[in-house]
Amino acid sequence: MEQPLIETKDLRKYFKTPKGNLHAVDGINLSIKKGNTLGVVGESGCGKSTLGRTILRLIEPTSGEVLYNGDNIIGYDKRKMNQMRKKMQIIFQDPYASLNPRMTVSQIIAEPMIVCKTVSSRRELNERVYELMDKVGLADRLANSYPHELDGGRRQRIGIARALALNPEFIVCDEPVSALDVSIQAQSLNMLMDLQESMDLTYMFITHDLSVVKHISDQIMVMYLGVCVEMSPTDDLFKSPLHTYTQALLDAIPVPSLKFCTKTQNIIKGEITSPINPQSGCRFVTRCPKASAACTRENLEIKEVSQGHFVACVLY
Amino acid sequence: MADKLLEINDLEVIYTTEEGGIVNAVNGLDLTVNEGETLGLVGETGAGKTTVALSIMKLLPERVSRITKGQIFLGGIDVTNATEADMRVMRGAAMSMIFQDPMTSLNPVQTIGNQIAEMVELHNRDYNKKQISDRVDELLKLVGLPADRKGEYPHQFSGGMRQRVVIAISLACEPKLLLADEPTTALDVTIQAQVLDLMNKLKEQFNTAMILITHDLGVVAQTCDRVAIMYAGEIVEIGTVADIFEGRSHHPYTEGLFGSIPNLEKPTRRLQVIEGLMPDPTNLPEGCKFHPRCPECMEICKAVYPEVTIIEGEHRVKCHLFYNGDHS
Repeated sequence: MEQPLIETKDLRKYFKTPKGNLHAVDGINLSIKKGNTLGVVGESGCGKSTLGRTILRLIEPTSGEVLYNGDNIIGYDKRKMNQMRKKMQIIFQDPYASLNPRMTVSQIIAEPMIVCKTVSSRRELNERVYELMDKVGLADRLANSYPHELDGGRRQRIGIARALALNPEFIVCDEPVSALDVSIQAQSLNMLMDLQESMDLTYMFITHDLSVVKHISDQIMVMYLGVCVEMSPTDDLFKSPLHTYTQALLDAIPVPSLKFCTKTQNIIKGEITSPINPQSGCRFVTRCPKASAACTRENLEIKEVSQGHFVACVLY
Repeated sequence: MADKLLEINDLEVIYTTEEGGIVNAVNGLDLTVNEGETLGLVGETGAGKTTVALSIMKLLPERVSRITKGQIFLGGIDVTNATEADMRVMRGAAMSMIFQDPMTSLNPVQTIGNQIAEMVELHNRDYNKKQISDRVDELLKLVGLPADRKGEYPHQFSGGMRQRVVIAISLACEPKLLLADEPTTALDVTIQAQVLDLMNKLKEQFNTAMILITHDLGVVAQTCDRVAIMYAGEIVEIGTVADIFEGRSHHPYTEGLFGSIPNLEKPTRRLQVIEGLMPDPTNLPEGCKFHPRCPECMEICKAVYPEVTIIEGEHRVKCHLFYNGDHS
């Protein structure tokens, strides 16, 4: 079998709080093949951003492994990790907060190359900055503008150009289009997909928007309270969602079409429970309409139901 | 046909900037809302949706903004010329507003019970303490919150529950018109579904008319009777949900909006995009305001402002493409 580019093994991140351990990421196993996109969906507070950052070691995991081309990067020392960071980058959610307001567009894009010393001369640096700006569709004249002069869509392009500056192989996209208007969102999504093709990038795409994730991903992981409840190839997940939570998520999306309005909606009750010291068994049990005594008994194993389709539920 | 509740005629609102520039936020907007009806007001950031709502509530920031033209009638009363004292009575009783962010629209140092009671008390001066407290309990039950939590503060509630509190406050006096400004944008999808469901039920129960401001066409399809699409401060297309979602003739901007949403049913490799950006409201283009981004732009669009064309029934479009009753 082909070696996946990114793999995690039982990755965990607990945050200490006065009330106990907050299980932000709790035993995630995933693998992403080179050139593929893994979509990670879930509601706010389910740990999807923490997962993305833990994989990049922007947050140190509590336990578990992150394998990059089969090599565990958790054990890397600082120098080795700095080399590693050139290959893995992140695009942040908020194009307003993730850019330094006192740096110009060209300075922001140039910074990773200066920090990692990937260019030898000032001229090469400038050429590279303009090349990147061209790649993400930013006009040359904007090079000396400051972020506040630009709109959200253009700012997000700066963030994307900065992430591409070091020719990475793997990019974590943490809700890159959530803060944008639909027409701008479509432009950004198209660009991300074009870049993936031309640069052979691997994405981990974190979002709460299922229609976006369906559009861009090859594989989708549904998270709930720090655990993966279902993982499956994209088409499979939308055709036959198995976990009750996935079904509820899919039902809850407002579809911009009248045909589907008549269908009776299964709205799940209640809200996401606290991730601090969660009970054993399935974490969705408090909201699940099909819950039974078996659900709370033991810690659930995630099972492969059909080819590549994993689900963590006692019903399967 | 139902009675007209709200009528807006040729409304124009401007904001003045510190440098003396003039932002044309709303440009000649006509709109009617009938009793008990839900109207979706759809558009991107900066289209002027919220400004319209604030104009109806007469809550526009005083020194920087001004209604330069047009009238707003609510139940026959001219809101644009009403005094502040009249407005105080009307706000809450005749119309009320749900704001986008339930985190910031509640007072953090008042219990939610007090905040709901404030509304009840202000509009029912003859109520005694017991009556007010009973009404608060009743309202909390209505929005699906346990009444024994009324002594808690907003930070003790989740986003969805806070939005329920806001809904309870806005419905306290059973207003005729509810202005909901992106009420579910800050919420997760499963919670959004719960809140929308609640709003739909309550609206039917009280026969409240609602203007739902949103940028999410999915939400519109599920909740609204009629839809108005806004672009650069004016309505470019208006019609029933069936006209907008299933009709064949659309404003190119509406087409673009629909093309931009990733479709869950049909897989598409590339999304259609609307090229370019929203025009700068301090410097709007001549003729049709959408022409610099329009894929079907003609010479006439650059010079002549398009008039409203009736497509069919209530379906109206502001676009040169549809002159002479051309339906194709």
